[in-house]
Amino acid sequence: MKALEELDIRDDLAYTQTHEWVKITGNIARIGVDDYAQSALGDIVYVELPSVGVVANAGAAIGSLESTKAVSDLNSPVTGQIAAVNEALSDSPELVNASPYEDGWIIEVEMTDPKELDGLMKNDAYLAFVKTLAPIE
Amino acid sequence: MLRKTALNAIHRELGGELTDFGGWEMPLWYSTGSVKEHLAVIEKSGLFDIGHMDLLRIKGKKTFNLLQLCLTRDMTNLKIGACGYSMILNEQSHVVDDTIVYNLGENEYILIVNAGMGPVVRQHLEQHSTFQDVSIEDESGRFSKIDLQGPASPAIVKKLLEKGRGTIEGLRYFQFRGDYADAATEIAFAGDIPVLLSRTGYTGEVGFEIVMPYDKTLDVWNMILDAGGNDVTPCGLAARDSLRTGAVLPLSHQDIGSWPFVHTPWDFALPQDKEGRFTKSFIGSGIYDDPPALYTYPFCGFDPRKAENHGASVLLEGASIGTVSTCAIDMAIGRVEGKIYSVASPDKPASFKARGLVCGFVRVDRPLKPGSKVTLKDSRRSIEVEIVSDIRPNRTARVKI
Repeated sequence: MKALEELDIRDDLAYTQTHEWVKITGNIARIGVDDYAQSALGDIVYVELPSVGVVANAGAAIGSLESTKAVSDLNSPVTGQIAAVNEALSDSPELVNASPYEDGWIIEVEMTDPKELDGLMKNDAYLAFVKTLAPIE
Repeated sequence: MLRKTALNAIHRELGGELTDFGGWEMPLWYSTGSVKEHLAVIEKSGLFDIGHMDLLRIKGKKTFNLLQLCLTRDMTNLKIGACGYSMILNEQSHVVDDTIVYNLGENEYILIVNAGMGPVVRQHLEQHSTFQDVSIEDESGRFSKIDLQGPASPAIVKKLLEKGRGTIEGLRYFQFRGDYADAATEIAFAGDIPVLLSRTGYTGEVGFEIVMPYDKTLDVWNMILDAGGNDVTPCGLAARDSLRTGAVLPLSHQDIGSWPFVHTPWDFALPQDKEGRFTKSFIGSGIYDDPPALYTYPFCGFDPRKAENHGASVLLEGASIGTVSTCAIDMAIGRVEGKIYSVASPDKPASFKARGLVCGFVRVDRPLKPGSKVTLKDSRRSIEVEIVSDIRPNRTARVKI
């Protein structure tokens, strides 16, 4: 597990309390898991991806990440159709660990209600949230 | 307050993800990560801190008789210099603990038992000892144990032996040499460190369990890393767990425990002759005349997806027939047209890439044949897996050294 000061926290992303991040381009939300989650889960060995076209509901599980330690849900932060999934993860799930914000992105959702983004955390709010989590050594 | 082994500072230095394991602060993995650690043991070698285990030394004229009564294995077959895997059962045939028993000769034996189990096993033995002349010493705190496992380990160990290098030539699986508590012992590492060197382990791969005086633990750890160079990788308990699962070895108090020890993949720990007849009676042996309908089987799935580690239901044609005791991922294996290959399989197809397979043990209420399909169901999902007779192929535990 990374120490707090080692966590990669990005200004251009919004985060959920269940450790997903969202990056907005137009009405497309690209979604992945944050550095905290990938570090806490350990080596990710399988990513269960949804099919393109399936409808994701905000706050509901849309896939899962399998690490050697545990299974963790991927919750969609927004509602909408799955527009794309990161097919590279089928062969290389370790990209989620190596590059959680770039090569390790997981899905893209075509948002139906951009107001849902208002409930997400940014910058200082996210940092304050991470600080409240179980003590990291 | 968690107990710490002699290598606790090393765990932190190596970026260990630390966890509470039976009251000990132990690393799940180091910064290398559990996947690479698992693969290192199969391809080169891995180094594990096993300082949380307990060790009992039993001496005296009637030691053999006490062990013959309290251990499941037939001690008449255990020669001096050999060690053996055994269960320790209570009268209900429940597992008190599993152990490796070492015959040091001259009525002296060592039992290595699980973390925190030294006092429990000692009490159990004392309770059943009507023998004068048997002393049971719990040596916790005086020794430490490091496991070096994987095909590179024999060459590394040979480099470290300052005394008795020849004695490990041809050492077979489940043979050992030396005694860490005897300064005049037949083998010693550089710096005259007495060791008990045992060709055993908990990974299914060729390797050694090394017992040394507690205050020499760090020296031995560093010595192995220096001698092994790029061929040795420090490994945590997650890799140990996934390696032992793929090798069809049980975790005490999880795959064996407070239920009858019957119909398991570990029946070789029972004192049976070739016809399956018992060669002795022992504490707990009463149940085998009429064993209950309880069956433990290894299983292997078709991708890495897991069910909850213990407690997930096992379904056969929709009906619940038992529970999952271990569910892990062996990252060195994969299936090609249904057949399981390992990264170490000489016959693996050229295109083979090990993506890992879910595997473990189920405890069910009826006999199942290898090849049977069952469903593991937890709160999240259902996964189809296959009952198998073995999991990771081409293991090296028994190769000649």
